[in-house]
Amino acid sequence: MSRIRRLSEGTVNRIAAGEVVERPASAVKELVENAIDAGAHHIDIIIGSGGRELIRITDDGCGMSAEELPIAIERHATSKLALDERGGEDLVNIASLGFRGEALPSIGAVARLGITSRSQGAETAHTITVEGGDISPIEPAAGPEGTRIEVRDLFYATPARLKFMKSERAETTAVSDVVKRLAMAHPDCGFTLTSGTRNMMRLEAEDLSTGEDEARLRRLAAVMGREFGENALPIRAEREGVRLSGFAGLPTYNRGRADLQFLFVNGRPVRDKLLVGAVRGAYADFLARDRHPIVALFVDIDPGEVDVNVHPAKTEVRFRDSGRVRGLIVGALRLALTEAGHRASTTVADSTLGALRAQQPTSYQPGSYPASPSGWSDSSASWRGASASVQQAAHQAQAGFAGLAPSGRVEDQPTETIDPLTGEVTMSPAAPAPVEFPLGVARGQLHETYIIAQTADGIVIVDQHAAHERLVYERMKQDIAQSGIKRQGLLIPEVVELDEDAAERLVARAPQFAELGFVLEAFGEGAVVVREIPSLFKKLDVQGLVRDLADELVEFGEALALKERLEEVCGTIACHGSVRSGRRLTGEEMNALLREMEATPHSGQCNHGRPTYVELKLADIERLFGRR
Amino acid sequence: MTLSGFRAETLKGLQGYRNAGDWEEMKITIERGALLKSLNHVQSVVERRNTIPILSNVLLRADQGQLSLTATDLDIEVIEAVDVDVATSGGTTASAHTLYDIVRKLPDGAQVEVVQNPEDGRLTLQAGRSKFALQSLPQEDFPSMSAGDLPHRFDIPADALSRLVDKTRFAISTEETRYYLNGIYLHTVDEGPEPMLRAVATDGHRLAQADFPCPEGAAGMPGVIIPRKTVLELQKLIEEEGGLIQVGVSDTKIRFEFGNVTLTSKLIDGTFPDYERVIPTENDKMLKVDGKVFAQAVDRVSTISTEKSRAVKINLDEGRLTLTVNNPDSGSATEELAVEYDSAPIEIGFNARYLLDIAGQLEGDVASFLMADSGSPTLVRDSEDESALYVLMPMRV
Repeated sequence: MSRIRRLSEGTVNRIAAGEVVERPASAVKELVENAIDAGAHHIDIIIGSGGRELIRITDDGCGMSAEELPIAIERHATSKLALDERGGEDLVNIASLGFRGEALPSIGAVARLGITSRSQGAETAHTITVEGGDISPIEPAAGPEGTRIEVRDLFYATPARLKFMKSERAETTAVSDVVKRLAMAHPDCGFTLTSGTRNMMRLEAEDLSTGEDEARLRRLAAVMGREFGENALPIRAEREGVRLSGFAGLPTYNRGRADLQFLFVNGRPVRDKLLVGAVRGAYADFLARDRHPIVALFVDIDPGEVDVNVHPAKTEVRFRDSGRVRGLIVGALRLALTEAGHRASTTVADSTLGALRAQQPTSYQPGSYPASPSGWSDSSASWRGASASVQQAAHQAQAGFAGLAPSGRVEDQPTETIDPLTGEVTMSPAAPAPVEFPLGVARGQLHETYIIAQTADGIVIVDQHAAHERLVYERMKQDIAQSGIKRQGLLIPEVVELDEDAAERLVARAPQFAELGFVLEAFGEGAVVVREIPSLFKKLDVQGLVRDLADELVEFGEALALKERLEEVCGTIACHGSVRSGRRLTGEEMNALLREMEATPHSGQCNHGRPTYVELKLADIERLFGRR
Repeated sequence: MTLSGFRAETLKGLQGYRNAGDWEEMKITIERGALLKSLNHVQSVVERRNTIPILSNVLLRADQGQLSLTATDLDIEVIEAVDVDVATSGGTTASAHTLYDIVRKLPDGAQVEVVQNPEDGRLTLQAGRSKFALQSLPQEDFPSMSAGDLPHRFDIPADALSRLVDKTRFAISTEETRYYLNGIYLHTVDEGPEPMLRAVATDGHRLAQADFPCPEGAAGMPGVIIPRKTVLELQKLIEEEGGLIQVGVSDTKIRFEFGNVTLTSKLIDGTFPDYERVIPTENDKMLKVDGKVFAQAVDRVSTISTEKSRAVKINLDEGRLTLTVNNPDSGSATEELAVEYDSAPIEIGFNARYLLDIAGQLEGDVASFLMADSGSPTLVRDSEDESALYVLMPMRV
């Protein structure tokens, strides 16, 4: 007997299942993608026990006929690959989400799979079941047009896999994450996700007739939260057949983790390092290194230009020209950020208002009485405390504002600043009408740190140090852009030993580094020699920097470390060279600062992504006092 | 810092509990001025913050009419001997900085009585009506730097050693990754008419080199890198002590003996780069200029440049040197100097700080600059002092 045997069909399917279906979430992904490819307008997803006991997906797509059902559950059977002129399948131009024909047989191999489907216009539905690879005969059934797929006892046929399942909660989160991503990419399709009896997600199909972008933003906001909708900048760019669209969050609307950065290629959610590097590069100027922006970008590209057949789960893609895609993303993000240089996120103003409003007793609002008596006494206690602090604050505020211009006809009032120690009032010449300036006219300085300015329809509070620091920084950047970075030659050039690939990659980027004042050359095989460094660096660990750059080229396809170090140095210089908190400013100085902020790009946030000013609209203030 | 080179048994007891019997009795009387001077010498080696408590202390050991004071940071050890009146010989250790501060504040000419109580481990200092009782640690625990054999020994006049250090010290690197540049490379060369003892320092941007005729016994010594902190301590001692200094060198240690003060230091364990390759020999564009005038002019024009990138551009034409600084923020400055120059015109930029550092070393009336082009190193010499030279890498502006 030959020692080498062919594996049975069932085993083959179970092996394939290991690649395609590694956890409930991947089964959900495959099935929802099928539903989307079937042209569904609404997809209903129900999971039980994190998807282990039950996954039921119901769509209203095109459905399958009784003849198609048994073929669908065979491996490498699909309706999604077009035949090319020679009668072969076209794996180059793939326009649908799925195409490998592995999902259903794989799931069937490891779970109890039931499919009930009625194709459009057909009289009855049919059902077929597969249990651990055993296929039942087709039977007629009742059901609406579309397909309902039920997966029970996932992985019952592969106990080893079952052992590696995470907690029910973790699996549920993973499923929800998968559905979110797909939902973001397909605003025209409605989604509901129910876990057990809990309704986790309910997204109505968005009406595309109002414009694709609006629909998409509504969908993104529905998935990622209302705040994203308010703080997103539209991104739109096109270059050489690659179309980029989507939305990017304002720098001031950032978070501590890079988990809300999404890239979709031809409607397919992918995780790609390319996006990480490009986003970091585009936001480098605006965010501290440990803060991350929120973006959702959609790349539409000729299917021939991208290989989605890299990974069975298709979470990775390969671009034929990744440099072009990256360049497009960085360019478009930068452009959008530059144009939005003056928008600080609404969350800033909202949180300010929230902080102010927190002083109000919530129990005043009808219907929000705390349920338990103890809760009531708690809240009344805090209300007493709050009212005391409100009074105190009001008292202080009164004292602080005592000498300020009474707001009558503010346009004609001179700006006054009071010295808190001496009570001396410094007068500045009558300021021009505030309506001319977006950031208004300075009315005073509080705590020698914050500038209060009055605008046509509200007030602006400016952090003087953060604002001036950004101005100095932007000026330095401009200087550098104009006169170039000065380079100090190294008397003893530094040789850095690397592996050969890394050295080659670095040398290929040498002209780009030279522009930043860092001159390196190849030095034999697997080494580079650094000949000149930016003179801005006083002490520089050349070895460390070169290694960082090499690592980044591998990881993100982009070398950011040098630029980041330079920005860090510039940032430090800017910090030292700017007006500190605690310095008293005259009216003229404050107005000059405001005018310069208006004229300077990116002055809405400091180098670390914090806002430099907060604007409160009159309407917001009126709301605070219950006038609205 | 490694602890190698120290007796293992001394390190074992560094932080253990102490019993009454651990201390030795000691009693001396010394004039305040003498004690202050010695403490001053040794205390500057002691780091302000230490993880091993005894390293904050100075070791006092009295015997046969002499008090020896020892301080160390495990890399450098300074020992000084001073004449005292010894009533009971013995030894102890106490906080160097505290002792120094106390003695400094005592009145001039006071007689200080220092007594170590063997029972409670207190060190008492009494001068007039002031009395201090200090915590002390037994002398056995004090780490001693075993210098080992110092096979190469030579004598060098203090002013010669001082010059070698002074001329090169400014170029020592402070960047930690190339640790072998964090000191002065002292070695002998035998290429000119007579063998030389040579000091070299570089931070990778500029280099300074100074020579002194090789003293007897120095020939054949290994090239050694003296750490920056040692250089600073050495300079302080040279200023105060003078005279003839006995130097002992091994592969890992160097020792300087000044009469009653001894400085022993570990050396930087690394290979100093082949510096001779970067000293240009083919530069043919010769500029001669009054060093002082040049330094003042550089200082003046660099006022305008920003703190961080102080670039000065030098334009040379027949007999004329023009210094230019351009700062888009604050304006520009130019100054013309009449100089001796008859080569082809050249434009070259330098970091003003580096130029000033070198100009500060030039003592003679005429400094000579030898240049090749705007991207290659420039050689600077004092035309009256051939034994020192400086190399400076230009800045691209």
